[in-house]
Amino acid sequence: MKKILKDPYLWIFLIFLCYPLYPYLGDYISLGTELLIWFIFTLSFNLCLGYTGLPSFGHGAFYGLGAYGTALTFLHLYNKDGFFVPIILGALIGGLFAGGLGYLIRNKKGVYFAMLTVAFTQVLYFICWRWDEVTGGEAGIKGIVRSSFLGIDMGNSYNFYYFVFIAFVLCALVIRRIAESSFGKSLQAIKQNPIRAEALGYNTGFYKFAVYTISGFFAGLAGGLYCFLTQSAFASVLDWSKSGDVVIATLLGGGTVSFYGPLVGSLIFVVAQELLSAFWEHWMLLYGLSFVIIILVLPTGLMGILKRK
Amino acid sequence: MESLILSLLLNGIGLGLVYAAVAIGFSLVLGVSGVINFSHGIMYAMGAYFFWVLQGHIGFWPSVAITPLLVAMIGFVIERVLIRRVYGQDPLFGLVITLGFAMAVEELIRITFGSAAYSISAPSFAKGVFSFGDFIYPEYRLFISVVAAAMLATLWLLMEKTNFGAVVKAGMFNSEMVGALGNNLPLLRTIVFVIGATLAGLSGIIAAPIWSIKSQMGTLILMPSFVIVLMGGLGSIPGTILGGILVGVSTSLATLIIPRFVDIIPYMMMAFIIYFRPRGIFGEQNIVE
Repeated sequence: MKKILKDPYLWIFLIFLCYPLYPYLGDYISLGTELLIWFIFTLSFNLCLGYTGLPSFGHGAFYGLGAYGTALTFLHLYNKDGFFVPIILGALIGGLFAGGLGYLIRNKKGVYFAMLTVAFTQVLYFICWRWDEVTGGEAGIKGIVRSSFLGIDMGNSYNFYYFVFIAFVLCALVIRRIAESSFGKSLQAIKQNPIRAEALGYNTGFYKFAVYTISGFFAGLAGGLYCFLTQSAFASVLDWSKSGDVVIATLLGGGTVSFYGPLVGSLIFVVAQELLSAFWEHWMLLYGLSFVIIILVLPTGLMGILKRK
Repeated sequence: MESLILSLLLNGIGLGLVYAAVAIGFSLVLGVSGVINFSHGIMYAMGAYFFWVLQGHIGFWPSVAITPLLVAMIGFVIERVLIRRVYGQDPLFGLVITLGFAMAVEELIRITFGSAAYSISAPSFAKGVFSFGDFIYPEYRLFISVVAAAMLATLWLLMEKTNFGAVVKAGMFNSEMVGALGNNLPLLRTIVFVIGATLAGLSGIIAAPIWSIKSQMGTLILMPSFVIVLMGGLGSIPGTILGGILVGVSTSLATLIIPRFVDIIPYMMMAFIIYFRPRGIFGEQNIVE
């Protein structure tokens, strides 16, 4: 019992369970939903960056593919009545593409790995942007309706919030289980010293491929949920700026030093972005500068400061 | 039809040479410092914007002379103040810090000049057209090919025929050893960064009259640079030129056949080349692997 009380997850879950009740914030239920989606996204990304040391700059693409996969299966296969299966299929598509890319570049290191993730995910962006017949091109896909799930009306944004909340709880538990399993420990060994891990008999290429696939799956899942939140899918979610967002949110919180860092980071990141973009047309200026400042001043993120003390 | 294809081919070569002149700086910085420099495109944009502003005040030739110096100075400051801090750290650090800087400058451009695109007219000495029989081609497009080729040739001489070039190439192979042998590695990295920035700025000047100047121009030139570097091989000048021309010509000719998928073709070629030659066409062993 004591152990459960000390578990940060319990408190995070409780805080977000009561989200709609908060004064002021509770009115912005879609902000809360978006936060939960970002939590899934950054936690999945941190399996790559924080646990394996894979500098992936392409997670925005898996997120976007998840959104497109969900939107397309919803519209074409499910005849506008389905909820759960399109999201799972979206996640699988994210995982599939991440797996394919991860397999191709599993033995590349550092900067070269990052370059290849940028270049290849950019292909996916252009395909979604140009393939009008399937993806709707620049106009994107619209007309997605949240129908009912197990008899609960998902059109109601509060019901949808709790649906995303349950998805978040499940994903968060699974991702932490992965990080704490022997598989996760092997990933950390690879991050610390890939050559030694290899010498100890670990197939580092396979581990990198596996974690990239898993991470892409959860990113796709987050994208699928996002697709239902905004009830649309646009190529702009695959853009590299999305990949930059997830990196900066993870680094800001301190994903490299703490498992919970991405949660702190995306909380601050999403809220700040929401406020800034509402108040100033040229918020991108501050946004870009914040990237610079975070890297210069807070390279280990907020959790890094807490851990040092 | 033949003359159309010929002019598209020439367009493609000119485009490719400009791409190569931008990409080579990106490539050298990546090779010597191990930083994926997302702010490289902004140097190109700054070249174009500085030139455009200065031209109205001090005339054509003085601004051609001053703009590269300004861009070089900015490159020097950025390298010393920002990028220096992330050497040897996680690759994403360098990527994110330069991306953040590029986003901030792009927004600054938008605040100063608005988000509209501006067109610049070609300088008076190259305003005419070049005609050969039935074939007519704008002189300015030939002019930029020649200038870009001259920039690349100068850089090639610097890299292949001087002691400095030998040190830079050694730095791409093993930077620690180069430092241990008594070369000033931090200074070398600064110089390479400034050279790259200057080349990008110059490319911005010559490209401005052809592709109108707009705030996103820096971001738009960056992706071809990525593809060219991966295709041609890191730090290789012949590889970069070949990669640039492949990208330029293929995109230019593709506008004739499949205009919608023009953007994807360079990536397809890149994937194909990397599959058979993981280091790119002329790539050799280097520090980023």
